[in-house]
Amino acid sequence: MNRNYLFLTLIMLVLAAGTLFLKKTPEYKQIKPETLLWDIIQPTRYVSTDQVAKMIIDKDPSLELVDVRDVNSFEKFALANAVNVPLDSLLSPVSQDYFGLPGIKVVFYSNDDIAADQAWVITRRMGYGGTYVMKGGLNQWIETIIQPKEPREDEPYTAFEQYQFRKGVQMYFTGTKVENTIAKKKKVVVRRKKKQVAASGGC
Amino acid sequence: MHVHELNPKKTLVTVIIFVLIILVGFLTLKKPRFTYKLSLQQSIQLLHDKDACFQPFQLADVLNKVNGEVVLIDIRDKFTYGQGHIPGAENISAYDLTDPENIEHLKELRNKNMTVVLYGNDQLQANGPWMWFRQTGFNNVKILLGGYDYYKTHKNTLAETKGDKSYRKGMARYDYAKVARSTTVNNNSQKTAKKKPVVIRRKKKVVAASGGC
Repeated sequence: MNRNYLFLTLIMLVLAAGTLFLKKTPEYKQIKPETLLWDIIQPTRYVSTDQVAKMIIDKDPSLELVDVRDVNSFEKFALANAVNVPLDSLLSPVSQDYFGLPGIKVVFYSNDDIAADQAWVITRRMGYGGTYVMKGGLNQWIETIIQPKEPREDEPYTAFEQYQFRKGVQMYFTGTKVENTIAKKKKVVVRRKKKQVAASGGC
Repeated sequence: MHVHELNPKKTLVTVIIFVLIILVGFLTLKKPRFTYKLSLQQSIQLLHDKDACFQPFQLADVLNKVNGEVVLIDIRDKFTYGQGHIPGAENISAYDLTDPENIEHLKELRNKNMTVVLYGNDQLQANGPWMWFRQTGFNNVKILLGGYDYYKTHKNTLAETKGDKSYRKGMARYDYAKVARSTTVNNNSQKTAKKKPVVIRRKKKVVAASGGC
């Protein structure tokens, strides 16, 4: 046998043995750290409770609410049509079905926004786009949507408009009858003129 | 007979050159500036690590210079920093965090075993950068809970905030299910009276042939 062949075989064997020490490739394709930090710095991922409420009411088919609290809290109360992906099971294969769907806006929420933001950072590192964070979380949801506060008199007109919107939304979510408290409608008094009758006689 | 067997030496030389080129390629491969040092699973576990956070009451020791192993870094922009910041804090705006000199500075601090505490206006602002630094191997970076806003309102009583829970995030402030069911708590509609039906009164038509007195 030619010695060169022996040599070549040895090289091949060494290389083959080398593959045993290769690191396991990460399960998920991850974006570059620089890109991740750049995305983290942008505030574009935050959506307000008002925006979320509007999307729910409009039955926006592209909205997918993801509740990152634990199962117990989720079962007690959750937003309409939300799915539960606790922060710790974010990497489970089942959870992956919710992310990365084209045209779907995933909105994370938790009691406030920290856990939701953390879920956002993790999923962003996994390369998923189209994900958002509901700013203020459920605490803010209660304060703005379920129990909106009436603006003070010196607040700008937009605050009143926003309050009007929230009162309407409150009615939608709670079913309570809410009255328009800001611009109370005045009693409509219809006065009609006397008809002048042609042949009315005088004294 | 194989073609290679005609000139076995040529084959060997080709293989050696091939291997050499690959080796040179690997050796000259540019190293990326940052790599993830924590796996995704580790990154999630980190979020439960209380030691990765810096409590506001711990600031008292830093400000009184009892604890000299902490460097505060304000990640807000220059303008906001100029309007007010925690005494002794350095300002590296979030946009400049990865500038080579800043990274070099942070690496130096890591080598000196100094703790770096990041803060923004609130905890949320520093949350992303804090997670990022931890994931890329800066395991001396902590996040200031409550952020600057909390510091500002409690700066004279920092040491007493140990038992305070108002800066802790992640807790439900309401019993959501209960509040969502009974919304009359804050409901202004209670005050206002029910709308009265609008009554339209019509005058009687005067009949055409009505006579006079």
